[in-house]
Amino acid sequence: VTDLRLLVPELILVGMALALILVARHVRRPQFAVASVVVSAVAAAGSVWVFSAEGPRTGFGGTIAGDGYTQFFTVLFAANLALTALFSVKHLENDHVPPAEYCALLLLASTGMMLSAAAIDLLVLYLGLELTIVCSYILVGITRDRPISNEAAIKYFLLGSFASALLLYGIGVLYGVTGATDFATIAAAVSEPGLRQDPLLLTGVALVAGGLAFKIAAAPFHAWAPDVYQGATAPVAAFLAAGSKAAGLAAIVRVCLTAFAPEQAVLSDILVALVALSLIVGSLLAVSQSNMKRLLAYSSIAHTGYALLGLIPGTVEGASATMTYASVYAFMTLGAFGVVIALGQRGEELEGYRGLAMTSPVTAAFMLLFLLSLTGIPPTAGFAAKFAVILSAVRAGYVVLAVLAVICSVVSAFFYLRVAVLMYMTEPQGSAPGAFPAAVSAALVVAAVATIIGGIFPDAFASWTVPP
Amino acid sequence: MSEYIGIVVAIVLAGAFAAVNVGLASVLGPKKPSAVKSEPFECGQVPFSLPTGRLSIKFYLTAILFVLFDVELVFLYPWAVAYRGLGLLGLAEMGIFLGILMVGFFYAWDNGALEWQ
Repeated sequence: VTDLRLLVPELILVGMALALILVARHVRRPQFAVASVVVSAVAAAGSVWVFSAEGPRTGFGGTIAGDGYTQFFTVLFAANLALTALFSVKHLENDHVPPAEYCALLLLASTGMMLSAAAIDLLVLYLGLELTIVCSYILVGITRDRPISNEAAIKYFLLGSFASALLLYGIGVLYGVTGATDFATIAAAVSEPGLRQDPLLLTGVALVAGGLAFKIAAAPFHAWAPDVYQGATAPVAAFLAAGSKAAGLAAIVRVCLTAFAPEQAVLSDILVALVALSLIVGSLLAVSQSNMKRLLAYSSIAHTGYALLGLIPGTVEGASATMTYASVYAFMTLGAFGVVIALGQRGEELEGYRGLAMTSPVTAAFMLLFLLSLTGIPPTAGFAAKFAVILSAVRAGYVVLAVLAVICSVVSAFFYLRVAVLMYMTEPQGSAPGAFPAAVSAALVVAAVATIIGGIFPDAFASWTVPP
Repeated sequence: MSEYIGIVVAIVLAGAFAAVNVGLASVLGPKKPSAVKSEPFECGQVPFSLPTGRLSIKFYLTAILFVLFDVELVFLYPWAVAYRGLGLLGLAEMGIFLGILMVGFFYAWDNGALEWQ
């Protein structure tokens, strides 16, 4: 029972989700449901501080860890949950989405993310990721009257099930080889000399890496991302881009640094391929997009590449850089999607940003900040985070990959700054966008503050990271 | 391997029983073949049809509600077998599990899943 202390944030979220499901039929006002989500997210993040000092470090038979790594990501997922809920206020009203069900799904998906960051056992990891992705399928297709959403949900479901099967098969193979599913025993078994060249072991490592690469939309497992982001409503796309990706990264960092640490050479080869493909595919395909959500989807693929860059050396510093990147990326992509949400239907297409600076200068300034951060221009958090991951790659001797990352960064400047050019250097088109709810503004401000602070004080995020 | 002999004997006996019955039926039984009887699956359903027909959405609803109780049973059986060893904590855990499942059932009920008209 004392082990339950490790899961207090998850329990808070699940409790609130169950309560929302119970009263679902009577909740008509999105404000109420969103407020309850924000309250439980704050409570979950607060409970991390309350329970951080005391209690066991691992629990539930050595499957859940309550270390600093878990706490870092729990706070990140709670922030992601709260910001997404605030962004959703407008969409819940406009798209006739049942608010209580929507918020319950957000809560449960976040619970899954926290669980996958806390897991030190492959099966619990799978459970957490699966909880996240099953809720995500429904969230993507929750606007049932829009055919594009249904299409996106079906695509996501089919590809996601396949990736889950890959991951599960990899777990099965690893269990067959090592006789365990917990990270410590796998690491011990893998370091045995006889197992090092076992083809079955390498198959298991590759399958698990492939399954996890799907969750973070790393090329060549990225094909779902553009269609799903475009088909989902903007808040859901933001939730997936920031949270789902961070959850996958949390899982992959812990697996790489603990379970597969003795196989770092093999992992590095896999990761180098994933990073190079993600950078090239994401950056080049984003250039030709005219839909804002698709553009951000391809940008998220490229950013997966940057985030994984820190993981290649397999060092503590590199993992810290990856964790920083995951959190910084979460805030800046939430902010960019936030502006898309604020502009409503107009924000979906690139053309809608024409002359935005003339009609609504504050919104345009927010967008400019997030775009600069996504490009990686100082003094924004995106620059500090990108600098850290590229530095870790250079230190580990992957100079060619680092050069590729910088080149892709320059390419990405083209399509990010094209939006800025549209906003600031073209004539306004149509009428000014209407006012948007205070909740959306509040979330935008939070994301912007995080982006600026992370840029002015580069250690603001890095000092909180605790690699596994 | 000796502990599997019982299973092997059971498989052989079951196979022999089925073979004897099918054989006897085909030797002794009367044969009046007709077009319907010669279909691959003689069960009253048309074996092949274009998927243009309509199916009531209620079937899916019923199937999903069935899954709810199916999952419940999957966990209830092993729990009942191991109940003595689990003690009071096991009882509490199963209570929580059933409670969470019933929240889902209540949601379906509350939203009219059981009203057929």
